Amino acid sequence: MVVEKGKKTINRLKSMYPLRAKVNETYLKSVEAIQAGKPAVWGMLNFYYGDPVLKAMDIEVVYPENYGAIAAATGVAQQYLERADADGFPSHLCGYSLTTLGYASRMMKELNGQIPPEAPFGGMPKPLFLMSSAAICDARYKWFQALGRYMDAPVWTLEAPTPGVKEFFIEGYYDSMVDLGVKHLRDFVAFVEGMVGKKMDWDKLDKTTNLMIEINRVWHEVNELRKAKPCPMHSRDFWSAMPAALFLAGDLEDSLRLYQNMYKEVKDRVNSHLGAIPEEKYRLVFAELPPWHSLGFFDKLAERGWNFVVESFGYRPPIPIDLSKVSDPLERITRFSLQFFAGYYEDARKQNVLGGAFAYPYLKYAREWKCDGALLHPLISCRSASTHLPYVADMLMEELKVPSLSIEGDIVDLRLFNPEDALAKAEPFEETMEHYRKIRKQAGFDW
Amino acid sequence: MSDKNKGLSKAQEIYLNRSQRARELKAAGKKIIGYPCVYVPLEMLTALDLVPYRTCGAIKEPVTEADRALPSSFCPIMRNCLDCALKGKNDFLDGMATIHSCDPQEKTAHVWESYTNYPYFHFIDMPSTVRPEALEYFKSQLNDFRKTLEAFTGKKLSTDKLEAAIKSHNQQRTLVRELYELTKPSPPRISGTEIVQVVKALMSLPVVEGNDLLTEVISEAKNRTDGPEKESARLLIWGSILDDTDIMQVFEAKANVVMDESCGGIRAYRAEVKFTADPLEGLADYYLKEITCARTFRQATLGETRKDYARDLQSRFGYLKGIIKEWKINGAIMLLVRYCDPFAFEIPSLKDYFGGLGVPSTYIEYDYTTGALAPLRTRVEAFLETIS
Amino acid sequence: MTKVVLMDESNNLLSTIKGPTGPEHRQLANEVMRQALEQASLQINDISYIVATGYGRLNVPFADRQITELSCHARGVSSLFPNVRTAIDIGGQDAKCMKIANGRLTSFVMNDKCAAGTGRFLEVTAAALGIKLEDMGDISLQATKKIQISNLCTIFAQQEVVALLSRGEKLENILAGLHDALASRIAALARRLGIEPDLVLTGGVVKNTGMVRAMKESLGCEILVPEEPLLTGALGAAILAKEIYMKAAAGGEALPTKSRRLEKATFFSSEHR
Repeated sequence: MVVEKGKKTINRLKSMYPLRAKVNETYLKSVEAIQAGKPAVWGMLNFYYGDPVLKAMDIEVVYPENYGAIAAATGVAQQYLERADADGFPSHLCGYSLTTLGYASRMMKELNGQIPPEAPFGGMPKPLFLMSSAAICDARYKWFQALGRYMDAPVWTLEAPTPGVKEFFIEGYYDSMVDLGVKHLRDFVAFVEGMVGKKMDWDKLDKTTNLMIEINRVWHEVNELRKAKPCPMHSRDFWSAMPAALFLAGDLEDSLRLYQNMYKEVKDRVNSHLGAIPEEKYRLVFAELPPWHSLGFFDKLAERGWNFVVESFGYRPPIPIDLSKVSDPLERITRFSLQFFAGYYEDARKQNVLGGAFAYPYLKYAREWKCDGALLHPLISCRSASTHLPYVADMLMEELKVPSLSIEGDIVDLRLFNPEDALAKAEPFEETMEHYRKIRKQAGFDW
Repeated sequence: MSDKNKGLSKAQEIYLNRSQRARELKAAGKKIIGYPCVYVPLEMLTALDLVPYRTCGAIKEPVTEADRALPSSFCPIMRNCLDCALKGKNDFLDGMATIHSCDPQEKTAHVWESYTNYPYFHFIDMPSTVRPEALEYFKSQLNDFRKTLEAFTGKKLSTDKLEAAIKSHNQQRTLVRELYELTKPSPPRISGTEIVQVVKALMSLPVVEGNDLLTEVISEAKNRTDGPEKESARLLIWGSILDDTDIMQVFEAKANVVMDESCGGIRAYRAEVKFTADPLEGLADYYLKEITCARTFRQATLGETRKDYARDLQSRFGYLKGIIKEWKINGAIMLLVRYCDPFAFEIPSLKDYFGGLGVPSTYIEYDYTTGALAPLRTRVEAFLETIS
Repeated sequence: MTKVVLMDESNNLLSTIKGPTGPEHRQLANEVMRQALEQASLQINDISYIVATGYGRLNVPFADRQITELSCHARGVSSLFPNVRTAIDIGGQDAKCMKIANGRLTSFVMNDKCAAGTGRFLEVTAAALGIKLEDMGDISLQATKKIQISNLCTIFAQQEVVALLSRGEKLENILAGLHDALASRIAALARRLGIEPDLVLTGGVVKNTGMVRAMKESLGCEILVPEEPLLTGALGAAILAKEIYMKAAAGGEALPTKSRRLEKATFFSSEHR
């Protein structure tokens, strides 16, 4: 296939564009609504747990984790990092948290609650309350607690149980997790009702929940199709299309249609053996968070025949689960949210991979998507997205003879990721991948 | 273990050779269970005649083995702990009881289990808040812990046994508080360094033996004539863990450390487990609520933070107020281990709190290596110079 | 560097010595002390009280007391600039920021872990560019373009500046960029304490005009600089020694002192076993 001059090497899905645009539109609409006086909440990514509640109550949610990435990409983060530093927050802390703390400090201490004029994309307004989540890492709830220093917004920390792989199967454990989740969520609903002064529309919550589950089911199926050879959809499309599902962006009926369209398009590609890149020489799995500001890097790799076929456990839809017999929407939400981690536990236990919820999925991905190598991207100030990576590399090599290449970066100090250096490492890694292909053949693997 | 050593010299002996008693007991047929964090309810181990043994880091030990499993930007204490385990220093253990107190504890626990092969390994999950449903969940976690312990030992964890264990461990907590009463006078009757050794010893012995040791130490400290020198600076050290005499001695070169608010000091001993109809309830309540580690999310009233910032600070740090007053503390050091998130986020707020009480404070970071001692010394001395 | 300041009770400087330091702290201390005494025409027994400061302060056998360089710098700087509230000392191995009130240290923050925030950063990068450290500042003042040095680490910054040079960037612009990078790191450190005038800058780096320019820009305020920027620590130590001695004398207290011997130092001395 001839690559035209000036054309990007990765063959992007047409159906990706509206999904990506949707997130931008939703964001801008949200900014408008907030400027018009609608209450806003700062939220943490909470894996489908708190978001449906806020959505059903028609509350605008702003995600500082995302805004941190925007601030970093637009070069505005540095001054907020400096403020957080000057306010005494230790420098090793998560870059997004320091950005937000610095931002809050500026907004509240210097500008009396007004959005800073230099803040891109409308900034983040002073919130009605803060919804944090205990999932993934400590920083995510301690940071919102620390914001209490600048803002009089109450904080709600959403609980997120984190079982060990073996312990999960103790009789009654799962039920106690559901119990915790449902009770906690019920109290959260009461809290939100109190904050906004209106009652939950349970019907709307029911519908929202169903749509959320169905959207993610379709989205999961889309990604299953990527097991095909050649892989019809590149990780870049995953990262562009994913936010709409993960953050319940905008109108959910519309989202469902868009994901269904994407399924059709990918299915068509599978049927015509159309790959996401002209010549798929290597199939890669990527962990964990992508370098949002340097995604063009993947086009350069695509020119070398690197197709990224599966990625980022932390962003993926849960393995589908049948919740049709569960009548209480809070229970459906809880079970669905738990499914994000728990969906893998059965397999992990069978494979005896005990190294934490984030590790096992990569074994499954590398095996089922038939990957030749893993590209690992540790981020210096995001430990929760980086801690599992040495373990993953070890596990992939030991179990599947799949090699890993590690390229460092950071979430806010974008200087730390050097695309030139990274590309220089690509060539020798190709030899490594070729070598291990032979080893795998000898060991009886089928890729 | 030599018979002639008692009290403080015995504590020092144990501190220098921590695993000796556990190994003796193992040779005599007891089972030893390691725990990396004071949130693990030791009563449940004691009740089943298991010997709890705290797995700690060793500041002088260069980390080499842990690299394959944990990145270098990770809590250096847990990395060090894991490193010791991978080097076989804990091979006498029959198992580990781990818990989800903070991220490094959680992540290390699973890696630890993957790379070792103990007959028993259990991970207790712990919620992040102290809400009623969180407490209920934690109680069910302890119940699951009970199940695997019973399966491992082949014994039932009866209410009687558990109550007896709670009594012994409460007794230890009372004795430690009694010990800390001895740092109230000026000069204190016992030094921070000596207490580090005593607490480390407690974490290396069965509870009853630890209580005996404490009784000896308290009596010795009350009657001694060779106590610490009086220094004008009476320090509170607040942090995750301060369990090493080399580090403590940096602080005590020119000051009296009268309170170590860390889990190498008073943190695990400040309150008592209440007796409840179902003992697991009292245990869950104590461990989740009473241990003042920054990992737990507390706030003034449900959903209130800055609405009344002072009240929020009070709900998080108020327990320090009484300590500062009663121990006549005139300087506070917030000692942070590099990469520790829960404690790091607290620093500015805690500094506000200390400021509100009129107590000078400083924040010092170290990385749990011997190279950290010289910079630590300069900062400590400079701080003391500012408050003298 | 090892420095000595001898002073009389009226704060007159009787002698000042600056000597390079090596691994043998103890030997050096004796040597520079000898030179200082010679310069002042004094014997070691004539000295009433001796305070040692700095990294090697524990290795001065004849010192009566050790006080951190932070307190000593604060004292020394405030004796020269009575209205100082903020002091920054940039050494070859560390950077210190101090808040001062009534001539005394009230709070501090320091970097002694990362070379990129110390004078060493300039030493290493100067060497990489093949120019003398003492010329760096003046050349940098001729800069016409702002260049951002992106690497946080001194070692990698070395490579970066060489790459910039080979890409055709002008030497003066690169040097200015290096000064800016160091200045911004130190300014960030200072901002943790809060920057209040008068602000005084000390340390060898002060002789680098380019660094003073960069610091002014990063801090956004006027900078005062002493005539002898390398001696403020030793000066402060001398003043504190005097204060301690005079206070004890006035109160009739006995003040413990070390034996006034400048022995030929060996690596292991019985006093410091």
